[in-house]
Amino acid sequence: MVKEDETFPCDLIFLSSSRVDGTCHVTTASLDGESSHKTHYAVQDTKGFRTEEDIDSLHATIECEQPQPDLYRFVGRINVYSDLNDPVVRPLGSENLLLRGATLKNTEKIFGVAIYTGMETKMALNYQSKSQKRSAVEKSMNVFLIVYLCILISKALINTVMKYVWQSKPFQDEPWYNQKTEAERQRNLLLRAFTDFLAFMVLFNYIIPVSMYVTVEMQKFLGSYFITWDEEMFDEATGEGPLVNTSDLNEELGQVEYVFTDKTGTLTENNMEFKECCVEGHVYVPHAICNGEAAIDMIDASPGAGGREREELFFRAICLCHTIQVKDDDEVDGPRKSPDSGKRCAYISSSPDEVALVEGIQRLGFRYLRLKDNYMELQNRDSDIERFELLEILSFDSVRRRMSVIVRSATGEIYLFCKGADSSIFPRVIEGKVDQIRSRVERNAVEGLRTLCVAYKRLIQEEYEGIYKLLQAAKVALQDRERKLAEAYEQIEKDLILLGATAVEDRLQEKAADTVEALQKAGVKVWVLTGDKVETAAAACYACKLFRRNTQLLEVTTKRLEEQSLHDVLFELSKTILHCSASLTRDNFSGLSADMQDYGLIIDGAALSLIMKPREDGSSSNYRQLFLDICRNCSAVLCCRMAPLQKAQIVKLIKFSKEHPITLAIGDGANDVSMILEAHVGIGIIGKEGRQAARNSDYAIPKFKHLKKMLLVHGHFYYIRISELVQYFFYKNVCFIFPQFLYQFFCGFSQQTLYDTAYLTLYNISFTSLPILLYSLMEQHVTMDTLKRDPALYRDIAKNALLRWRVFIYWTFLGVFDALVFFFGAYFMFENTTVTSNGQIVTTNTHMVFGNWTFGTLVFTVMVFTVTLKLALDTHYWTWINHFVIWGSLLFYVVFSLLWGGVIWPFLSYQRMYYVFIQMLSSGPAWLAIVLLVAVSLLPDVLKKVLCRQLWPSATERVQRSSSRRAPADAAPSPDRPLLTDPAPRPRRE
Amino acid sequence: MAMNYNAKDEVDGGPPCAPGGTAKNRRPDNTAFKQQRLPAWQPILTAGTVLPTFFIIGLIFIPIGIGIFVTSNNIREIEIDYTGTDPSSPCNKCLSPNVTPCICTINFTLEQSFEGNVFMYYGLSNFYQNHRRYVKSRDDSQLNGDPSALLNPSKECEPYRRNEDKPIAPCGAIANSMFNDTLDLFLVGNESDPTPIHLERKGIAWWTDKNVKFRNPPGADIPLEERFKGTTKPVNWVKPVYRLDPDEDNSGFINEDFIVWMRTAALPTFRKLYRLIERKTDLHPTLPAGRYYLNITYNYPVHSFDGRKRMILSTISWMGGKNPFLGIAYIAIGSISFLLGVVLLVINHKYRNSSNTADITI
Repeated sequence: MVKEDETFPCDLIFLSSSRVDGTCHVTTASLDGESSHKTHYAVQDTKGFRTEEDIDSLHATIECEQPQPDLYRFVGRINVYSDLNDPVVRPLGSENLLLRGATLKNTEKIFGVAIYTGMETKMALNYQSKSQKRSAVEKSMNVFLIVYLCILISKALINTVMKYVWQSKPFQDEPWYNQKTEAERQRNLLLRAFTDFLAFMVLFNYIIPVSMYVTVEMQKFLGSYFITWDEEMFDEATGEGPLVNTSDLNEELGQVEYVFTDKTGTLTENNMEFKECCVEGHVYVPHAICNGEAAIDMIDASPGAGGREREELFFRAICLCHTIQVKDDDEVDGPRKSPDSGKRCAYISSSPDEVALVEGIQRLGFRYLRLKDNYMELQNRDSDIERFELLEILSFDSVRRRMSVIVRSATGEIYLFCKGADSSIFPRVIEGKVDQIRSRVERNAVEGLRTLCVAYKRLIQEEYEGIYKLLQAAKVALQDRERKLAEAYEQIEKDLILLGATAVEDRLQEKAADTVEALQKAGVKVWVLTGDKVETAAAACYACKLFRRNTQLLEVTTKRLEEQSLHDVLFELSKTILHCSASLTRDNFSGLSADMQDYGLIIDGAALSLIMKPREDGSSSNYRQLFLDICRNCSAVLCCRMAPLQKAQIVKLIKFSKEHPITLAIGDGANDVSMILEAHVGIGIIGKEGRQAARNSDYAIPKFKHLKKMLLVHGHFYYIRISELVQYFFYKNVCFIFPQFLYQFFCGFSQQTLYDTAYLTLYNISFTSLPILLYSLMEQHVTMDTLKRDPALYRDIAKNALLRWRVFIYWTFLGVFDALVFFFGAYFMFENTTVTSNGQIVTTNTHMVFGNWTFGTLVFTVMVFTVTLKLALDTHYWTWINHFVIWGSLLFYVVFSLLWGGVIWPFLSYQRMYYVFIQMLSSGPAWLAIVLLVAVSLLPDVLKKVLCRQLWPSATERVQRSSSRRAPADAAPSPDRPLLTDPAPRPRRE
Repeated sequence: MAMNYNAKDEVDGGPPCAPGGTAKNRRPDNTAFKQQRLPAWQPILTAGTVLPTFFIIGLIFIPIGIGIFVTSNNIREIEIDYTGTDPSSPCNKCLSPNVTPCICTINFTLEQSFEGNVFMYYGLSNFYQNHRRYVKSRDDSQLNGDPSALLNPSKECEPYRRNEDKPIAPCGAIANSMFNDTLDLFLVGNESDPTPIHLERKGIAWWTDKNVKFRNPPGADIPLEERFKGTTKPVNWVKPVYRLDPDEDNSGFINEDFIVWMRTAALPTFRKLYRLIERKTDLHPTLPAGRYYLNITYNYPVHSFDGRKRMILSTISWMGGKNPFLGIAYIAIGSISFLLGVVLLVINHKYRNSSNTADITI
């Protein structure tokens, strides 16, 4: 038993509720984020139970499927045994299932029986089901790591071998002044060699930057907040900001090469507006006059009497054929209220089309009131209430692309109303003015309107009973219920009579065109994958500038395939394309690339499945390859009539093509989920079609236009930051460990550490960690506005440009060079015994020699300064925090060393660092050496930077240059930019 | 690796509230930090900005280098190898272990007089004081005068920890192998009677080492020998540690020769300060030019590991000892950066022209 406002503790089968009609209302906000109330229905036979005793008396068994994560699907059946009759079998569906995590609303209490508990509940299954995605950066990071691992092992091996070569002379292995203990002497040679190898591994293990992984995770985690904090990506209208569901893929946003976008709700608003309807060729356009009398423009002459009948039937069909719930705040005392009080009801539905249609029809005089006790009530033009008994709902799915209801009117006539996409309705129509309506539908589709066709069929009682049995059989099936239902639907929805068509406008989202254009300029290929018709989708593509006027469209559609075989079509297209790209390269040489022809490809689901279908002789890859070649040479691709799975298939096809491009899928509906999960980066739009997409995505944004900032600004920054982070970490650890390696050649390969233990430990933890972490959070090599203004900069980082082998090797060699400078710099200073302290500070006139710890400290000091200053050179965005952290960490190093060496630490068994650092600083040559070595280490990098910028500047560098030139002019009038200081709330967007 | 977290809750920063009512709270703050619009200085390394730096580095480094180089050249230094591997060397006889004690004498001539304080070093080659086993073979608390550590030295000292059931003081390989040749310097002069040169034994170690890090066992009034009671001398030593020097302030663990030896060298070839020759008056050079001889009590065996022994006499300057490397390096780097500056200037000039023309064509 669950009371109101309680959460269900496990997945329950809903037996009965305190409400008379055996329903309860549930909100699943914590499951999928949909805050609307959903109605669930109790099992028919048990809904009368009121008390616990009643429930006790129930004798029934429940069969259900194995637990599976899909929240919206459940198959099971209940056998209710009673003493008198045969057991009753009832189907159980998701409407009978109350999910763990959902909350009971507006219902006093319910009774239920638990079916899935613990980890088997759908909620728990959903938490696990998210697949791991790894970014390209992480992959190359791992490859680099393997390289370093090899370097580590080879270093250790070299040193071990060298050690034994060196030790082959007994006076070097064990000179008189340095003898081994008995135990050491008696150890087995192999064992000794192995322990030596391990000791070298331990000594050099710092070259594997373990701290890098920690820092990368921290960077990703903290960095992802910048997305959620971004004010520009906050949508005032819905009050939603961007969501980050995984922080792993931040930098992948900067690597996207293909964007697969859904059309409805993504490119378009999914804010439907009923435009017109067409009944038997007569077009009705409702005016957007609210609460006025039915204002209808009849374009044609008024229909005859028969037409009038058809017209009303059409309106009733639209009023009845849907799954809308009426949200009525005072539902409990509904009966008291007169239904025609003129109160506007809010309709809630998972499909905005339906809402638009019902609301549109309301303006034409028919109003849907509510569903009560299986009777649908509607108010007709004469303000009479008509009641229809709802017999069956053949619910909508994206494969059938239609839905039907079977109702019985007050007069006892049984109707089947079917509503769906034209392609799925027309083949099933046997009567009606098909041609007229079709031409109208096509006209509307070209204008970018969403069209639906409505058809009906009158059933006689016997037919209905046949249908009922058919459906019932399918519904109680435990296995393959989906398929059996689909088959049943197929049989029922045929021989229809066409009534008319509706057109609903779906406006483009604001700045959708701008975003698409920017993405294309950034070198990202935008593909539109939609379930819509070719014409509608193409119109939307033109509207959002995916296709331009000079784009030559190539079509691979069913229509064309009827005329030619797939083979011919594909070869013909590839010929055109290849010819074009050949001439294109020539054009590029002659500098005439401006007027190059770009191609747009349109393909529909049927053609695609032909291409994807493996042929009998196994040469399927041929078509796929050809198709890929064509696609790659097109600037834009539009795929229509796609089933959700096909969307994922397309993404997969591109994802695993030769170059392994990074793909991004963006969508808002449940039908996009498979594609979102398949792509490297999945972005959900927090839209109207529920939160399924947002829940399954890696990132969720409120509007399509935010994608531009997400990729061009955030993605770019994240990529720049993390690639520097990765390279820098490898670099600084090479700098750190390579001197250690070199030192082994001078200390008899005895694993003597060059640096003191405290330095070894703290190098990665505190001396050099914060500056790079901060860099990786704050760096902006060019300003945000520049990135937004100039999308082409995105091309500079495409294809993992900053983590290529060339760059990686450069950084590694830079590290090795610096390490050589540190080590041999210090070596030459010490070899000539010049670094000696004249000890002016401590005593007068002494002249003392330094030992090995001073040597290490000198190398270490030079290293900390070089490595930090190297980062300072790379930083292009110096906020006060950067200054604070970079200079602060250098200062920290100095202060720490002074302290570490300044006191005899009682907890240490050795005092080897005592006064070493201070003595070193009291020596003039040490200062000179530090300055010199730091300068030498930084010199090549500075030189490389300047030369590259000067001779082969990238687009980014050009922009930096020009902006720095412009900067003085800009800076003068706006010393404090309003963006930074303005505390006043910005004007709200309407 | 993955950090999947419920972003919704994180953003709210509090308990998950009922949806709908939180619309206002969810609006991100318009702060400069969160919007990544902190005011910032945005420097760019271009040829224009780097050019002056190169020239400045060149202009600063070259004079410094020349200064160092000149100073370094003014330093007088003489190095005498007295290992005795060469049969003609007077110390050759000492190579055989039979001759004890072995005293040999090496003659040398100073061409120029040594002014100011002169430092006398001994140098060893191929001696791995930086070997790991060697470096850690010491007990710092024993050397700091800790009574318990004195009688129970650290395990690190093995195999030089105990001898004949008595703890060794000072324990460990470093102490055990302390350099024990005695070097004496005589000025031959004109007369046949050579004058010995006074060699100062004190002031050769770090002040902090002598006064803080190294301490004799406690007991101010008790004779030094008593304080080391219960310990034995290192195996290779002739005298126990409390007899290292007749002066009690320079004996025991605070003997400066010992402290110097205990600071392990960084490289297998090293030199350590042995004695000071202080300047007496301004009028006379500390070591006038002339003939000298070095009297060596040859105790320390290096032949077995191919080592070399040297004696070095050197003056110092404001920047330490003789130092050709630093000066040359400074001059080299200074000139290189100056050269690079010139090259960049040329490139910059050319580039500017080409970019201008490029702008025109586009």
